[in-house]
Order: sequence, then structure tokens, then C-alpha cells
Amino acid sequence: MLRSLRRFPLLPVLVGLLTACSKEKRPAATALTADATGTLTVLDWAGYEDTSMFVTFHRAYPKVTVSVAFGESDADIFGKMKAGADACVFHPYTGWQHFYVRDSLVQELDTTRISHWSEIPARFKALGQVDGKQYFIPWDWGFTSILYRTDKVPGGIDSWAALFDPKFKGHISMWDDGPGAVTIATYVKGWDETAITDAQLAEAEKMWTDQRKLNRFYWSGEPELVSGMKAGEIWVAYAWQGAYNTLLGEHVPVAYAQPKEGRNSWVGLYGISSRCQTPDLAYAFLDEKLTAAQGVNLISGFAYGHVNPAANAMVTDSNIVRALSLNDPTVLERTRFTPLVSETQRNQFGQLWARVKAAQ
Amino acid sequence: MPAESRRRLTALLTPPALWLGAFLVAPLLLLSAYSFRAGVGGALFRDWVPTLEQYRILLGTPAFLRLLALSVGIALLVAVLATLFAYPVAYYLVFRVRERAGVYIVLLLIPFWISYLLRVMAWKVVLGEGGAVNSLLLSAGLIHEPISALFYSRLAVVVTLVYVWTPFVALPIIATLYRIDRALLEAAASLGATPWQRFWRVTAPLSLPGVLAGAVMVFIPTVGEYVTPSLVGGSSGSMYGNIIFDFFGRSANWPLGAALAVVMLALTLGLVGATSRLTRLERFIG
Amino acid sequence: MTRVSRRGWLLPSYYWALLALLYLPILVLLVFAFNDGTILAFPLRGFTLRWFTELFATEALMRSLRNSVVVAAGASLVATALATCGAIAVMRFEFRGKGLFLSVALLPLYVPFVVLGVALLLFLSTVGLPRSLWTIAAAHTVVGFPYALLILVARLVGFDRHLEEAAMNLGATYWQTLRRVVLPLIAPAIFAGWLTAFTVSFDEFAVANMVVGREPTLPVYLYSQLRMTARLPRVIAMATLIMAITLAIFFTLLWLHRLMARPPAATSPVRP
Repeated sequence: MLRSLRRFPLLPVLVGLLTACSKEKRPAATALTADATGTLTVLDWAGYEDTSMFVTFHRAYPKVTVSVAFGESDADIFGKMKAGADACVFHPYTGWQHFYVRDSLVQELDTTRISHWSEIPARFKALGQVDGKQYFIPWDWGFTSILYRTDKVPGGIDSWAALFDPKFKGHISMWDDGPGAVTIATYVKGWDETAITDAQLAEAEKMWTDQRKLNRFYWSGEPELVSGMKAGEIWVAYAWQGAYNTLLGEHVPVAYAQPKEGRNSWVGLYGISSRCQTPDLAYAFLDEKLTAAQGVNLISGFAYGHVNPAANAMVTDSNIVRALSLNDPTVLERTRFTPLVSETQRNQFGQLWARVKAAQ
Repeated sequence: MPAESRRRLTALLTPPALWLGAFLVAPLLLLSAYSFRAGVGGALFRDWVPTLEQYRILLGTPAFLRLLALSVGIALLVAVLATLFAYPVAYYLVFRVRERAGVYIVLLLIPFWISYLLRVMAWKVVLGEGGAVNSLLLSAGLIHEPISALFYSRLAVVVTLVYVWTPFVALPIIATLYRIDRALLEAAASLGATPWQRFWRVTAPLSLPGVLAGAVMVFIPTVGEYVTPSLVGGSSGSMYGNIIFDFFGRSANWPLGAALAVVMLALTLGLVGATSRLTRLERFIG
Repeated sequence: MTRVSRRGWLLPSYYWALLALLYLPILVLLVFAFNDGTILAFPLRGFTLRWFTELFATEALMRSLRNSVVVAAGASLVATALATCGAIAVMRFEFRGKGLFLSVALLPLYVPFVVLGVALLLFLSTVGLPRSLWTIAAAHTVVGFPYALLILVARLVGFDRHLEEAAMNLGATYWQTLRRVVLPLIAPAIFAGWLTAFTVSFDEFAVANMVVGREPTLPVYLYSQLRMTARLPRVIAMATLIMAITLAIFFTLLWLHRLMARPPAATSPVRP
């Protein structure tokens, strides 16, 4: 459509007239035009610096430079933002959004400036809110579940308790993350993570300390996990669907469980820094991130879900469809999104995990 | 000190002192100050009530203290082993290879230009359960199950650290061996000493300062080592450095991480200070 | 001359065995750089050159390599210069703060780099200095300094003071003496110190990751890419390429050195 605009200069005038007369409420126009210049600084995870990850933004504003700095983890991104990173836009994940709000690092969003906002399901929009106010847009999402080798575990797996099963001693791999570990303990035991008691935490710590004897290694990056599963060293693992997709592509016999306690889900969020000097560019960037055209690149590139349902419909790779259960409209009902916990709780979970790893 | 000397000393000492002061001492002091915070919330140095909370937590968690002691022990073991393994290399290069030793040394060091992480990942291919060594042993019938302790274990951590440090420890030993006066060895030979006696009674004692310097050079950074344990240590191979790293890099608990770091630094500094007092290392430095 | 031991095969075999062990993982990486698969595990899946083409097409990767070379070169130069000053000060002068200076100088060896990185991050944000390649270079100067210092101090231990005295008696000023007598003689140690500092900076990740601005160095870029399985092969391709280039440069220099007529060995005043 943009290309045709250049060929028929009257078209924008017509469109403008039509939209002005339209009954639907249209978003306020941004001040940007196709030859906008400038630099937009982004603090993002590695892999998202590729132009395919903001393809529509790049096409719409080809003269704008997108400069991406990397963060290694949520804690890393948070630390860098606190220390005054030169980043207008940044990308935390669920579980951390309220910390940015509390430290005034992020600005509240004016969603009227985001033209594609209406395309996003309410469930995802809600995850970008803190105290009822919209501070972030959701962008990518995925599952956490148990990935297992079907040839080593012929009976299949239907519960998170499999991570603690002595049958798989020496062949289990858990993600190296305290809050993640506590979340799983709450699933297995049926507790409420946001209201977890000290006694429950102590029990969770014991569970994971005992589990350590069954655990081969804690993975911190997916390559470590997939090479371990491919080599047959790991049979059962806490994993995201990206690993499932990769192993399917390598023809390794694996399956992705649907535990009776439910899968876990997480969502990646984009926010605008409170000190951003180029908010117009930032809003346009966020807006274009929500387009289905961009979403397809995310899904195809990383086997991560995109929040725009239209993007999901455009995916053809059968492995990815399987990994994300894109054909199952109810899959998101059977998953549990990571809740918000306080800083005290986050510290408690971190210390719990440190004690698990330090135990002699 | 005469004024002339003082001026020269100032001119020489000021650049490094200023640089270290700005980019090393000041940051570390700031971080130590940060360890007296209760949490990361709030602006960096406002909204702050000094507290000993983090030290209370640290000293009240026996697991952390035991891990610190264990890490010191591992560092000691690695230092001793690496020095032992490095000595023959140093001896070979100084007394056998002699003038061409430079080439041999550079060959030893070139692999360190390749990302350490990648090299360890490659070792996993060789030593892992499904790796080359196990496959070989299994197909030869020497074992019936893959040996899992070769990788993802505390043993693997020690072996990897020794493996990585040996080429580096050779350097100070080479430096010391190089400076041994050959005339002494010739004198010993002409007095009837066998090669072994010459080594044990002349070369070895004279090389001791270099050996000690090498061992200390390995020991100090290994106490806080975290990369190797995270790559090859598996679930039970964590060292104290991993805990520090996790607090900074995973749970954003900078005050507690800083407190752990301060305690480790104090301990290491104390240990090295005591050792150099015992061995009079500063005599070697001059 | 010391007689060569009759059991002359033991020591060389030891050295070459150690060298083989050091290069073994690199050989493994070399194999996987051409493997048509993204996972670092057997079985191999066929030969391909596409990781290398992807590598050269990844502009960010090439730029980070250039950044690393620039940062390492700058940082190691400054570190060596500072270490030379510091080593001479420590070895030739007596002053009260000597122990303190040495302890501080060797601090980067004690401190885990992640701690140093966070400390520098705190410092930079308190002082208001934006993070960039300059801050990485400044940090790497600190990191490389103790290595260069130790090498130079070790070299100066046996350095004959009389040379300097002789030069000054003949009319040279102190600075002229340093420049024309001491520095040339300790030049190999300076080079060794510089090379060590360069190596340390080139592969350093933890500190760089904390004080990095918008332009990453190679390790920062590499480690971040390792998060994704699909990116691993081109990283391995890059590593094998660096290895190949380094070895090529090294052996070329060696060959050139042998080709040129060796000058008569300068009589070193230092006892061998």
C-alpha cells in the first residue's frame, strides 16, 4: 500500500478525506513522514537487532537508524536501564514490568498513538498494564513446558512432577532461574505464587535441593539444552517451545508436554523509557512491532508467538505450528502466565536458588 | 628522598595511580558502599538508609560460607596442579628449546584468542556422555555405560581450570628459569653432581620465586571463578563466583551480590597478604 | 654447557601432548564450522559453506570484530605504557606507598570481572559518563594492567642498575636514559606485556558487557548470539576464521624472520 501511495499522489488525499468522514475513531496521526530521519536507540535481546524484527518500521521510515544495544537477561536489562542506558525503547519480560514503573524508568503509553492497538487481544494488552495503566505493549509470547525424548520416555509425561522423578536421574535439565523454579514448585504443589508463605518456600527449597541430585545441568542458553537433548544426555527438560521447534527440525524424537497443572507462559513487552528524546520514533516503532507482517518474521525466525492473531494465521512451517500449537485456539486457556511478584519475593526466590546451588 | 628523585617518582607514578584510582578504586568503593543498601529500588544514591542487612544474610547462610571455603580449596588445588604441570613445559622451553622458545610460547597462547566459551562447548563434544571419548570406550567394550563424571561435575571444573591455566603459569616460571646463572650449573656438574642432583639442588630452589608467583597468579582469580563452573560444573559444580554472578545477572540483587564480593575480596586479600608475608614475596619484587 | 639429557624424548613429548590438548577443541570447532546443522553434537549432517557466507553477510558481527580489535589495541597500548611507568617506579624507587600501589595494581586479578563490571557501571552512571567503546577501552586498560605490570617487573628484577648510572655519568638526563637505554633493553618484555594485555582485552566479556554502549565488542556480540541455536554456527565459523588468520600471520612472520639474515646477537648485560 505504501508503494502505491508514491505512485498515485492523489491517493493519500482520498484516503485522508475518507478517513475524516469515517465513523470509526482513527488514531491521532504521528508527526512522522516517510523521510523522517534520526536514530532510535533500543535495548533488546540478541537476535532482535535484525531488520526483519522491525521490518514494517524500516520500510515505512527507511532513513531512520535503529541502533540496538544488547541485554543478557532481565536483570541485566533492568540494571542497565537503572544505570541510565541510552535506550529509548526496551524489552523486558513478564515479571519485571512493575519494577520499571516503581523506579520511574518507563513512561505511560498513549495508546491512541498506536494504530494497531485494536488488533491485539485484551488478554495480551492486560499483561502490559501496571496498576491499571498501560505502560508496555506486548509483543512476543511463548510457552514453558516439559520437553522430552519420546524414545527415552515412551510413557509420555503429563505433570511437572516429572522434573523431580528419580526415574530420570542424571538426565534432567532445569532452567537456571530461581523464580522459574519457585513457579514450578507452586504448580506441582498447587500454591499461589504471589502469596507464597515462608513454610512453602522452605518446602520448595527442599524439593529443588533434592532434585539437584537428579539434575544433569542447569541450562542458561537454549543451545546448551538442545545439544544435550540431541546427544541423548538429557531426556526431560524445562524448556521453551523454541527448543522444541529446533529439535523437530533436527529430526530428534521429542514431544512437548501439556502438564495437568498447566503450561506456563511468558510475554515480552516493549516500553518507552521515561527519558526518551525521540518519542515519535518510539511510538512508530512500537506501532509497527504489532503488525502481522512483522509478527510473521518473529514466528518464522524464532518460533516465538506474536500477539497479533493475524500473524499466526500466516505461518506455514509445520514444525512451528506444532511447537506453538497454532492450530489449537484453546491452548492459551490452558496456560498460566507468569505473575508479578514483589522485589522482596524476587530476592527471596533468588536467594533460595543460590542456596540450592550452594548446598553441599 | 632527594627532590630530584621525588620529581621523577611522581612523574612515573602519577599516570598509573590516577588511572587506577578513577577506573578501579573509585568504582570498587562505590560498589562496597552499595553493599550497605537494603535493595535496588530507588535512585542510585538517594533514598538510602545504610544497613548491615546483606551481611546479616550472608553470614547467616552457612551454605554460602561453606561454598566460599570450598572455592578457596578448589583454587588452591588448581594452583598447585597447574604449577606442577607447567613446570616441565617451562623447563623444556628454557633448557632444551632455548633461543626458539618464543615460537613455542606463542603457539601455547594462540588458542586463547578463540572464545573460551566456544572451546569449552567443543570439549563437551569430546567428553560428554554422547561424546567422542565415551563412544570410543563404549565401542571398545572398556565400559558399559557412558562415564558421566567427565563433564558436568566438580572434577570437570578442576580439570578444565588446570588445563586452562597451565600455559599461563609456565610464563613466570620460564622467566625465573631463564635468569638462572648457567655457571652455577656448570660448577655443580664439575663438582660431580648428576643431572638430577643439579636440578633438585640448584635449578629447583632458584626457580621457587617464579613458581610461587605463578601459583599465586592462578590462585587469586580462581577463587572468584564462575565461567568455568557454569559451563562444565553441572548441577553441583557451582563455585562462590556463580552465586555472586547470579545475584547481579539474574535476580538484580546488587546489594547482596556486592556484599558477597566484598567478603570474598577481603578473604583473598588476607590470604595472599599472609602468604607473601610467609614467603617474603616482596623480596622477589624488590 | 649443560649436557643434553639422554632421555630427551620425555620433555618434548610432554610439550607437544599439551599443545595437542590445547588445539583439540579448536579442531572440533573446525569440523562443526562446516557441519550442515545448528546443534553442536554428533552425528554430523553434511558439508556446507553457508555459515561462512552468513558470517560475512552479518554486518553487525564484522563490525563487532573491528570494534574488538580497536578497543584491544588501544587498551593494551595504554595499559602497557602505564605498566612500564609503574614497573620502573616500583623497581627503582623506595617509597612508602609501594605495597599499597602493588596491591591495588593487582586488584583486577582478584576481583571477579562481573563485580568489576557492575562497579564500573555504577561509577559511570554516578559520574554521568555515557557508555561506549571508550568506556570499554578504559575498563580493559585496568584489566590488562596487572598482567603487563607483572611481566615488566619480572623483567626488571635482574636488570643491572649500573647501566643507567653509567649513562647518566656520561651526561644523559634521567629521561634520556630511560628512553635510550632502559626501554630498548626491556622492549621484549614490553611487547610481551602488550600482547598479553591485548589478548585479555580481545576475549573479555563480563566487564565489557556491563559498560558497553551501542557498539558491542566481539565477545559481547558472540555471547549474546549464543542465546539462539540458529546463530551458533556462524559464531563458530568466525572463531575458526580468527584462528586460521592468527596462525597464518604467525607462521608468515616466523618464515620471514628465518628468511632475513639474523643480526649478531646484542651482548646483553643481563646474565643469562
